[in-house]
Parts: sequence; C-alpha cells; structure tokens
Amino acid sequence: MDALRAEHLEKHYGQGDTLVRALQDVSLRVARGSVVALLGPSGAGKSTLVKALGLVSLPNAGRIWFGDQLVVDNGRLLASVQELRRAHLGFVFQRSNLVPFLTARQNVEIACEIGGTSNPKKRALELLDWLEVGHRASSMPDTLSGGEQQRVAIARALANHPKIVLADEPTAALDKVRGRAVMELFRKVAREQDAAVVVVTHDHRTLDIFDELHEMEDGRLSPTALATVAAH
Amino acid sequence: MNLAYLDVRHRLGRFIGTSLGVALLFAVVLAMAGIYLGLVDDATILVRSVRTNLWVVQQGTRGPFADMSRLDPSIVARVAAMPSVKRARAFTYQVMQREHAGRSLRFALVGLDFPVDRGEALALTHGRPIVQPHGEIIADASLGLAIGDTLHVAREELRVVGLTKQLLASGGDGLIFATVADAQLLAEDTPSDSIRAERERRTERLRQTDLGRAQPALEALTGDPDFRAPALASSPIAAVLVDVEPARADAVMASLAQWPDTSVFTSAEQEQLLLDGVVDKPRKQLALFAVILVVTSSLLIGAVVYMMTLDKTHDIAVLKLMGASPWRLGGLVLQQALAIGVVGYGIAVAIGVQAFPHFPRRVVLTEDTVMGVFALVLTISTVASILGIVHALRVDPARALEG
Ligand SMILES: Nc1ncnc2c1ncn2[C@@H]1O[C@H](COP(=O)(O)OP(=O)(O)OP(=O)(O)O)[C@@H](O)[C@H]1O
Ligand SMILES: [Mg+2]
Repeated sequence: MDALRAEHLEKHYGQGDTLVRALQDVSLRVARGSVVALLGPSGAGKSTLVKALGLVSLPNAGRIWFGDQLVVDNGRLLASVQELRRAHLGFVFQRSNLVPFLTARQNVEIACEIGGTSNPKKRALELLDWLEVGHRASSMPDTLSGGEQQRVAIARALANHPKIVLADEPTAALDKVRGRAVMELFRKVAREQDAAVVVVTHDHRTLDIFDELHEMEDGRLSPTALATVAAH
Repeated sequence: MNLAYLDVRHRLGRFIGTSLGVALLFAVVLAMAGIYLGLVDDATILVRSVRTNLWVVQQGTRGPFADMSRLDPSIVARVAAMPSVKRARAFTYQVMQREHAGRSLRFALVGLDFPVDRGEALALTHGRPIVQPHGEIIADASLGLAIGDTLHVAREELRVVGLTKQLLASGGDGLIFATVADAQLLAEDTPSDSIRAERERRTERLRQTDLGRAQPALEALTGDPDFRAPALASSPIAAVLVDVEPARADAVMASLAQWPDTSVFTSAEQEQLLLDGVVDKPRKQLALFAVILVVTSSLLIGAVVYMMTLDKTHDIAVLKLMGASPWRLGGLVLQQALAIGVVGYGIAVAIGVQAFPHFPRRVVLTEDTVMGVFALVLTISTVASILGIVHALRVDPARALEG
C-alpha cells in the first residue's frame, strides 16, 4: 500500500516573463517501507516537490494522498496542516536544524511532546539509542559532530511514528563516510518503521541504498533505472 | 518541556542583563508611587491626628494650611455654646525657622487649646502630653530634638516633654505642638529686621486709631516687643476645631455656614484642600515620570523580546514543521516577556525595600502599591510581547528547509 501518493502536481513561481514552472504534471507514489531518491540538477524542482509533499508550500494544482486520506485537492488543503504534520510527517533538513538551546534528547522530546506521545522522554531516549547516539543525549547540539547532529535530527523526524519521512539533501554537510552512514539509516527507518522515505540527494555514490530513483529535470519527474544513473 | 525557560537558561547573561535594566526602571516607578503616597500621608497626617469633625476658619479662606486664616479667639466660645457641639478648640498654625543649638531648625508650629486639648490624641512615641499651660512642647523626632531639650525663643524657654514620629507638615517640616498661648508668643517673635518693620506698622496702625490720635505718647510703647495694647490685639487664632456628634455634624455645619465671619469645612474637605494645594503639582510630575518610565520599560522589554524572537526565527520554523500550535509558539514569547517583567520586578522590590528607607523623602511602600505595580508589570510585559508574538506566528515554516 502507498504511504504517499501525488498526482499531476503543478507549481509555478512568479508570472509573465519571470514565470518559473517549478513542477509540471508531477506524479509520484511511494510505498510503505521503501526509500526513494530524488535526483536532478540544481533548479530542477526537487526542493519544490519536497515542500509540496510536506505541505510547506502547496502546489497550485494536483492531489496528494497520505495513506488513503486525500489531503490536498487541486492545490487546496483539506485538513488542519498542524494535525497532518503531527500525525504523518517527519522532516530531515540539509543542515541538522537542531534547536540550539535544547539538548539532543530535548530536541527529540519536544517533537514527541508536540505529537502527543504519552512518555516523550522515554520515547526520545529510545530513538536516540536506536540511532546509536544515546550516549550524547544530554549534549548541546553545538558540541555534536555533523553526523551525530544528523542522527539526532533523524530521531526527531521519527518522533511521532510518521508514515512519511522527507529529507532534502540530508548528507550535503557530511563527508563521504558519514554521509553514507546517514543514508543507510534512512533505509533502516524505511524497513523497521515501515515508513515511506523520500530523500533528495546529489550524492551518486550512495544510490545503491535506494529502492527507487526519480530524476527531475525542469520541473518534470521521470523514473530512472538504477543502472542509468549509475552510468552517469 | 518549557521552551521559554530552556531558551532563557541558554542565554542567561542576556536575560539577567535585561531584567536588571528593567528592575531599575521598575524601582523608580515604585519610588514614584511611594513618594506620592508619602506626600499624601505627610500632607494629611496633621489633619488626621488632631481628630476633629469640623474646621471653622476665616470667612472666604480655605483654612489654616492652604490659606491664611485669622479668626478672633472669641469665636471659640461662640461655637462651644452651640447645641450638639461636644467640644470647640482654638487652633493655630505657622511655619517658622529658628536657630537651635547652633543649627537652623525649620518647623511648623501648632497651637493646642490647653487645657481642653493637651495633645493626648497625638501618637506619642516618648514622653507625655502637655500638662503646664506654659513652657512645654511636643516635637517630632525628625527635628532631632530629644525629651528634655530646651528651645529658646522669644525670651521663653520651651521644654520638649513628648515626641512623635513622622508627624510632618505638608511641606515636609517636622511639627511642634505648644499651647495656643505659647504658639502665639512664638509667632510674634520675629527676627530683628522684621521687628523694626512690624514696629513701624504698629505705630502706623496706632496713629489711625482714636486712641493713637488722642494719646500720641502711646507711640513710645509700640517699641516694646512685649507690648500688647488690647485694641490692637493681633493674636488671632487660625481655626476652631469643632467636635460634634457625628449624626449632628451636617446640622451644625449648616448653621455655622450661616455665620457671616466664618467658613466651615469637614475634616475630609480640609484633607482634600491640603492635597489639592500641596500635592497636586508633585502628583502630576510624579505621574508624568511614572508614565514615561512605564512606556520606556514596555519598549525595552518589547525590543528585547522581539530580538529574542527574531533570533529564534529558524527554530520557530522548525517547530512549526513538527506541528507546534500557535499557542505553544505565542506562549513561548509571552512567557519570556513575563519572565523578564516578573524577575525584574522582584529585583526592583528588593532594591526598594533596601534603598527607600535611606531616601531623604519619605517613601511609603504599601502592600497595595507592590501588588498594584505588579499588575501593571504583568500588563506591560503582555503588551510588550505582542510584536514578538506576531512575528513568531508569521514565520514561514518553509524557512526551516532553507539551508
Ligand atoms: N520562492 C521561490 N520564488 C521564485 N522561484 C523559486 C522559488 N523557489 C524556487 N524557485 C525556482 O523554482 C525552481 C526550482 O527550485 P528548487 O529549489 O525546487 O530546485 P532544486 O532542484 O531544489 O535545486 P537545488 O539542487 O539547487 O537545491 C528554480 O528555478 C528556482 O529558482
Ligand atoms: Mg533544493
């Protein structure tokens, strides 16, 4: 069953001469437990698609389903965006974006709390352990390495058992080894949490991790065979 | 988890710095309120401490404090003879400055109608009321006099027999109570320059009377400072204090109002007159300062809280992507504003308790003032947080996705 489905998404910025068609008739399905990559050159519309799927910047047209719930119809939101975010979505950003005045554990805990988890502290520690950063639970973000920060950020994204995890260039700030480790975590997330994971990446060395690859070009999405991309 | 608290703890230096700044402003607001209450209290304490119902004063004047009131002493007996009047007392009042023990002593002299009034109604901290018709005074401790001290004025010796505490005239000078007779003696003992002027005036007045024209030799007598010619009697009293049965006060007042040579006020009116005359201007000034300070502290808290919120723009966007409600985000800003206000105010009250007793002016810090200003502080903080709250609610969650 699909955790996430989008059909005929359109998104344009500006108008007249400056009109940019960032998404053109984009359709996508992501099954539970699978991890897919969004590839493509700069300006192709990858971030725009992630923002649309994450209800951060709604498409001008098209439909989006979370599970079997239709949440966006013709560019209009059909439910409370806060509720949808709490219940379905987890975000991982390019930089870890941890809240600087909270410890690693508190960063995860606040997400659990917002999501209404019954024992947020316990859940936070479990997640950190699961991502192998439990020993840094009481450290402040600025004392963590880039890889540790990104693990904490992933733990935070998983706080409320999201069925959809969206990550926009999560390894851009990491070196090769750490970048790969984080990508492997996404696979683990997909498998063990039964979530649909969508990852925007430029790093072609880690593509073997993904179940599906999608290439974007000028706002259009096309499924790509692993072999094709690997040949790049 | 309380985000406001954790953020504040993370940046404790800035929080404490702001709170201290705000504390100083609030301390001054408290001082303004306290000084005002002190003024009101000082201004009205005399009226309150003589404990009477009605004040009879010279026709057309507003009484012995706000105005110059001169009454013929015979009025006391006329008032006392009225029905429902329990007691009528003469009252004199004059602010004067005299040398004592090598320093200049400024005080307000109140004449008590001995033996009817010996000053028993005054709250004495030491000593006793006046028992002799002559030569005994009750002084306020603020004048630096002690029991047994002797004041030499008008060739009289006045011995301090009783002390009061914080019994001040509306101008802030300490009060001295004497018998009306002594008070009148003192009032006429004027420094040498004015003695000469007064002598000339007396002679002038004498020449205008039949007596003076018939007996030019009397002019020599006016040179004698102790001379008191009955026809020239200038020992008027300032007011008559009338104690009546409370139920009959209105009736007595109505009939006194018929008299052609007097005006009459209730004690409350007399207090109000004092406040109007003496406290009005300082009150306006203090109120103006207080308003400026309140606006300044609002702006200060507002600016700091707004900056703290701007700094957190990215974090707020991240929290929004987690699904944080507007309540939680607005609450974060509001709580920080309130925390600065409350901590600042706590420090301000501590400063006040320590510092106000050392102020030259009396600062009255009542529980009501502290609670009232506290309510004001909460309001200021809430208003000051509005800009920050609006910013927090407007943050676009998409900013969290930007690198
Ligand atoms: N807020 C915006 N206003 C106007 N144009 C925008 C806006 N956001 C994106 N665009 C345009 O939309 C197109 C797609 O942008 P997008 O950020 O989705 O690209 P991307 O594939 O994520 O690129 P990169 O790999 O550099 O992150 C670009 O041409 C960009 O200039
Ligand atoms: Mg992008």
